[in-house]
Amino acid sequence: MSDSKYILPRDKGAAPLDFVIAVMAFLAALALGASMIADRAAMGWQSGLAARITVQVLPPEKSSDPRGDMMREAGAALAILGHAQGISHANILSDADTDALVAPWVGKEGLTADIPLPRLIDASVIPGEKVDVEGLTAQLKQAAPNATLDDHRSWIARLGTLADTMRYSAYVILLLIAGATAAAVSFATRAGLDAHHEMVALLHQMGARAGFIAAMVERHYFLSALFAALLGTLLAAALFLGAGGLEVIGLEAVPFLPPLSLKWTELPWLLLVPAATALIAWATARISVLSVVRAIY
Amino acid sequence: MLAPMVRFENVGMRYGSGPEVLRDVTFVLEGGSFTFLTGLSGAGKTTLLKLIYLAEPPSRGLISLFGQDLAIAKRAHLPPLRRRIGVVFQDFRLLDHLSAYDNVALPLRLAGKRDYAHDVEELMAWVGLGDRMHARPPTLSGGEQQRVAIARAVVARPDLLIADEPTGNVDPEMGARLIRLFGELNRLGTTVLIATHDRSLVEATRAKEIRLVDGRLVELRAPMRVAL
Repeated sequence: MSDSKYILPRDKGAAPLDFVIAVMAFLAALALGASMIADRAAMGWQSGLAARITVQVLPPEKSSDPRGDMMREAGAALAILGHAQGISHANILSDADTDALVAPWVGKEGLTADIPLPRLIDASVIPGEKVDVEGLTAQLKQAAPNATLDDHRSWIARLGTLADTMRYSAYVILLLIAGATAAAVSFATRAGLDAHHEMVALLHQMGARAGFIAAMVERHYFLSALFAALLGTLLAAALFLGAGGLEVIGLEAVPFLPPLSLKWTELPWLLLVPAATALIAWATARISVLSVVRAIY
Repeated sequence: MLAPMVRFENVGMRYGSGPEVLRDVTFVLEGGSFTFLTGLSGAGKTTLLKLIYLAEPPSRGLISLFGQDLAIAKRAHLPPLRRRIGVVFQDFRLLDHLSAYDNVALPLRLAGKRDYAHDVEELMAWVGLGDRMHARPPTLSGGEQQRVAIARAVVARPDLLIADEPTGNVDPEMGARLIRLFGELNRLGTTVLIATHDRSLVEATRAKEIRLVDGRLVELRAPMRVAL
């Protein structure tokens, strides 16, 4: 029954719905893109932290030469780390590095000489290798009683939680947008059917099946939703690409936060938005039409 | 004896909680018959036709169509029954955004037919609309619209043709021509039921007549087989 497309009159009042769908798709694409950025950033932080181990050596409390003892323990700890399985490289942070770390809080006056700051050893983990954290801790306890080992597990767990929260928030937003789109299409279909009630009733009277009448209406909504959503998605994609362009010329949206841009290879994922929107419009239109037609005898 | 095409038994019809428009209507239309349904305006002619062409279910009573009891027919079985009925509506009900040609071709398209151009053109020429095929209904006169409606009702060679005042807007000559068309279809096997208040139309033929007065079938003309 391919002829059905000739029967439905062209709807001149559909522009507001197309606009609503384009805006919905724009917002959905923004939410999807943001969740992808958050995911990528969280993974970056996690892999960055997971690849590092920090050993902190505190100055002994009861010692005549706390700094000397601390340096000795730091040397012993460095030796242990140097031979440990999975560690590619370890070094004691210099006074200058330590000053730089505390500078935001105590200024750049080089207080390391006056305040008994702990020594930090930064160790890199060979990617993919597993470090025996418990064994290392036990070894350190013997050789350097004032050393503590931090493998950033709690930070990684927190970042994972943050990424999950952002991801699930994006899903909730996408669900809300999908629901709003379905409601708008349902409303528009019913209004459209009211306007074409005479025609629908006549086709029904002439023996057209409900599915045939639904087919000619749903095709119209599927195509117009597809184009409108494509437009909104392209706008969002342009925005993400534009943000990338700003970073290229040296303007960051917010310092410390991950870049708010998507890579070219990530953009195709945004096409899920028009595809899903068109499907939602199609299904909503079909359900609306079938319920209206079936209400007729 | 021919099989009954339409059978009504004690059918009553009311809209909502209003008064009964039809009361205890009982009759049979045999397959291949040609019948006039007469009665004054408001007697219930259009309602009776609506029950036959499956636009409304009856409030009470039994209707069977093409041998099927509608009370127990499944919803999915109604569209094929509707496709076997051609209807000429009193208000034509043409689709204004389609040309006269496309309006006439509609039943054939709904039936999934592809090569209908010749049939549609021939029929439109027969009803005198050969040069108006591509005109839209709003640009046609009342009589021309009526002929488009008639052509649409008969183009798919329905088993049952129902016409509600089909000659109301045409001159007597065209009216006679249209009745001849219905007669022609009837000879080919179509059962015809025409509602009219035009006595001359009824008198000019020897067809059966059933008459509605205040919602009841009260008068017949031989050779009707109507049980009252």
